[in-house]
Amino acid sequence: MVRKIIIIFLLSIKLLMAEEMLERNVYENNCLSCHQFSTLKLDKIFFNYLIKYSSELTVKTALIDFLKNPNLQTSVMSEDELRRLGLKTKTNLDDEELKEAINIYWELYNVSDRLW
Amino acid sequence: MLALKSKGTNLLKSERKTLTSFLLLYSFLSIVILLFSAFIYYNLQKDDMLQYQNNRLTEYSHELISKIKYLHNNFDKSQKYPRFVYFNSAIYDSSQNVIFSTLKEKQVKLNETIYKTRDNIHYVRLLDSYYLGAMYIVIEIVDDEEWLGFVKVKVILYGVVLFFILLFAGYFLLSLLLKPMRESILLLDRFIKDTTHELNTPISSILTNIEMIEPFKLDEKIAKKIKRIDIASRTISNIYNDLTYIALGNQIQSKDEMIDMKALIKERVEFFNVIAKVKRLEFILDLDDRIILLIDKNKITRVIDNLMSNAIKYNKKDSFIKIMLKKRYLCIEDGGIGVKKEQIKQMFDRYSRFNESEGGFGLGLSIVSQIANEYNLKLKVESKINIGTKVIVRW
Repeated sequence: MVRKIIIIFLLSIKLLMAEEMLERNVYENNCLSCHQFSTLKLDKIFFNYLIKYSSELTVKTALIDFLKNPNLQTSVMSEDELRRLGLKTKTNLDDEELKEAINIYWELYNVSDRLW
Repeated sequence: MLALKSKGTNLLKSERKTLTSFLLLYSFLSIVILLFSAFIYYNLQKDDMLQYQNNRLTEYSHELISKIKYLHNNFDKSQKYPRFVYFNSAIYDSSQNVIFSTLKEKQVKLNETIYKTRDNIHYVRLLDSYYLGAMYIVIEIVDDEEWLGFVKVKVILYGVVLFFILLFAGYFLLSLLLKPMRESILLLDRFIKDTTHELNTPISSILTNIEMIEPFKLDEKIAKKIKRIDIASRTISNIYNDLTYIALGNQIQSKDEMIDMKALIKERVEFFNVIAKVKRLEFILDLDDRIILLIDKNKITRVIDNLMSNAIKYNKKDSFIKIMLKKRYLCIEDGGIGVKKEQIKQMFDRYSRFNESEGGFGLGLSIVSQIANEYNLKLKVESKINIGTKVIVRW
């Protein structure tokens, strides 16, 4: 009986970790994988969005809009960076995955939780 | 209070009540106006103070913005929110959610520029570039309320001075309004005094001469006529005595003496019996012996005469007048027309009459009331319409 309980407990933990890994993977596989080797760092992009859009809701909405339909008007990058790196290609993530990735991104760089 | 005293002329109770009500209402309205003015003055002073603080707080906001800007651009190096000695601050995003705050008061009005809370002053500024996501910055300083102390002193000082000026103006206004009424009362009093003086000799002459006539020597018709003259003379005599009391009573020193109440009442019953017989009224007397009062004889006679005269005047024909004299009280009861409950309080006011069909000046019960006040006698009236009136005088 005790063995069964331990097995169920371990399976639950593994399941939770797998889910977390899955979430991480959406952001890590689709965002971090490129940006970590690029000169255009994700934290810089985050602060560019923050200075232009202010709140969580407006930042996330602006990010989704841009990633689904990248254009020069909505880009937060400087002209120099755009000239150097060019405009990003349209995302191929579906809405759910995109939202998950952006949520992880927000949580990772949210200033409110990091200020002291 | 505006008491119109002139040779015994006082304002009636109802008039005093009106004056008191007027002054109370006037004072209340004056206070309301002063409070309203004080409120406006307070708000103007508060606006002045906030205007003055606005410049100082704008400087503080510049300081905070420059620090936030630095933090935004160097967030990877430091995440410490800037703190200042002179003020507290907070930053809010475009959804008005707090990003970080060191404010003591958490409730903030982001739609206002500068405002005062209970203990602090808040200054709100909108940013063009949202460093750290901040659309609004709020600066908080402690309000030492030094300005409020000055405002309070000025409001109290000017308030009291203005209140007394308004009160004096009210008093002056009221004096102007009352002048015609005061003159009417003085005129009436002067008339009563003059009339009284002129009545003295003819009344005495009529009464003396009637008493000298021997009725059994006259034939029946003339005797009847003489009796009518006798009744009329006694009525005039009673009125004359009332008028004399009103005109001179307050100026004459009371001569208190031991009065045998039973003997006095019997004497007055005999005097009024002639008048009572016209209405075929029966006197029912229940008088205890040895009731002695230390009182001015003329004054207690005025009390008894006026109560008895009223009991005759406002009685029905073939009715009764019951007089009870006991150790602690005198009660005169009639089976007459009675008065309404709400009129009882006004019965003792001078010139108040509730039945125009009967003669009189409305002085009788006013005199009774004055004498009762002088000797601490307690008056109580019980009356029922068409059943009768009972007046009790306690000592």
